[in-house]
Amino acid sequence: MATIIDVPEEKAIQVNNFEFTYAGVSEPNLKNITMPIAKNKVTALIGPSGCGKTTLLRSFNRMHDLYPGNTYNGEILFEGRNILAEKEDMIKLRTQIGMIFQKPTAFPMSIYDNVAYGMRLKGIKNKTELNDRVEKALKDAAIWKETSDRLKDDANGLSGGQQQRLCIARAIAVEPEVLLFDEPTSALDPISTQGIEKLIIELKEKVSILIVTHNMQQAARVSDYTGFMYLGDLVELGRTEELFVTPSEKLTEEYITGKFG
Amino acid sequence: MTHTEKRIIINKIVMMLSSLSAAVGIAFLLWILTILIINGIDAINWNIFAFEGAPPGYEESGLKHALIGQAMLIGVSTLIGVPLGILAGTYLSEYGGLTSRLANIVRDISDIMMSAPSIVIGSFVYAIFVAPFGHFSGWAGIVALTIIMIPIILRTTDDMLQLVPTALREAGFALGAPKYKVIMQVVLRGAKTGILTGVLLGVARVSGETAPLLFTSFNDNFLNTDLSEPIASLTVTMFNYATSPYEDWQKLGWAAAFILSMFILSLNILGRLLLIKRKKK
Repeated sequence: MATIIDVPEEKAIQVNNFEFTYAGVSEPNLKNITMPIAKNKVTALIGPSGCGKTTLLRSFNRMHDLYPGNTYNGEILFEGRNILAEKEDMIKLRTQIGMIFQKPTAFPMSIYDNVAYGMRLKGIKNKTELNDRVEKALKDAAIWKETSDRLKDDANGLSGGQQQRLCIARAIAVEPEVLLFDEPTSALDPISTQGIEKLIIELKEKVSILIVTHNMQQAARVSDYTGFMYLGDLVELGRTEELFVTPSEKLTEEYITGKFG
Repeated sequence: MTHTEKRIIINKIVMMLSSLSAAVGIAFLLWILTILIINGIDAINWNIFAFEGAPPGYEESGLKHALIGQAMLIGVSTLIGVPLGILAGTYLSEYGGLTSRLANIVRDISDIMMSAPSIVIGSFVYAIFVAPFGHFSGWAGIVALTIIMIPIILRTTDDMLQLVPTALREAGFALGAPKYKVIMQVVLRGAKTGILTGVLLGVARVSGETAPLLFTSFNDNFLNTDLSEPIASLTVTMFNYATSPYEDWQKLGWAAAFILSMFILSLNILGRLLLIKRKKK
């Protein structure tokens, strides 16, 4: 019954009949989800608390593998392979599909070392290359001006909004194909939120973006496509302006007009 | 008397009783410290650091042997106990977690070990490390002190690592870091002040141990740096000198008590300061 449009653009990811079950649960928490994620576009996932949007997001970089007993079914196609396959290399996958968390997660080290962290993991040791790429990542994340004269300072001295942009710089420094944002502004003030939203729109030139948000206005502001989830189902996926103005599903309409959720 | 008046009076009584109890505790502590400082400072002089033990009545008598012995016992126990404690604590928090049966059993056992009388640990080491070799040794003392130190450091490390937000670990994994790198570079780093506090408190705790050393490293009234032989420690020396009938030995006992207390006090204060610094962040 779900209304899922197909996207005209090239696809970064295609999800087919995906199901996910948390450890110790008998019914799947995500049910039969099929959706495309368009390349170089922003796709937002909205829905009431507990609908499974974060669970779905965390499947794309297989974060659920960190905890035992969770099971995936179906397929998530990325660059021609099913990333749910047994033989998928987590380290490679996670450098291709990066993630930004709800709360800023600056590591307890300097600003420079934070941004260089992922590149060093990839084995980049050349000082000049590291310097150049750290600078570029900080510029792309719109935080270079505030940090260029204190790269050696502890990253925990930055404000929440700055830390979140630092985390974005850290994620884009390894040049991923896809970035996953898990409610990236829910711990931030309105001005920082505006900055992050602007950044997300700019970043889509280089990466494909999937963002989970509690805030429908935010989805409307930043995304090209929006998916509405409810109780583990993807109810509707459509172009953002259409989904918010003329939703096809009654449930979507009720949610965006504030009848529940 | 109205209900409100009654409540006010009861409130005052409870407050007075608890303030009084607190005052009694603090008074005894201050009393001990005062006596210790008065007698200790009086007994401290250059000879203490320059000379080894000597028979009563000798002018050139000091604590050099005990200070060096103590430093060796504590130093080597710390070198062995700290890495073992931190690694075991890391296992509990990062590999075992709160749901693992094995990890919880280790947690319970180390809690029991922490409150085990140290004399029991001393006699255990005597049975396995002194009796079979036929003589006391510095190494036996080190084994006893290490056994006492490990559970303290292990539990603090475990607790401090669990305070590191899960999101920080996930952020490490999300960048493609393997687990050992997330643990070494992100989690342990994030908890380092807390762990250092645990280490300081662990060292402070074993520094004051006497009973397990009586059974293991025993004592030597002269300077010895060979750990396979009995070796002097401040605590056992203090015990011997303080219980002796000679006034000059008793004075040395006061000096040992003073030095030991100041050392432990500064470790504790340093630990507290680190904790405060950590909270401010």
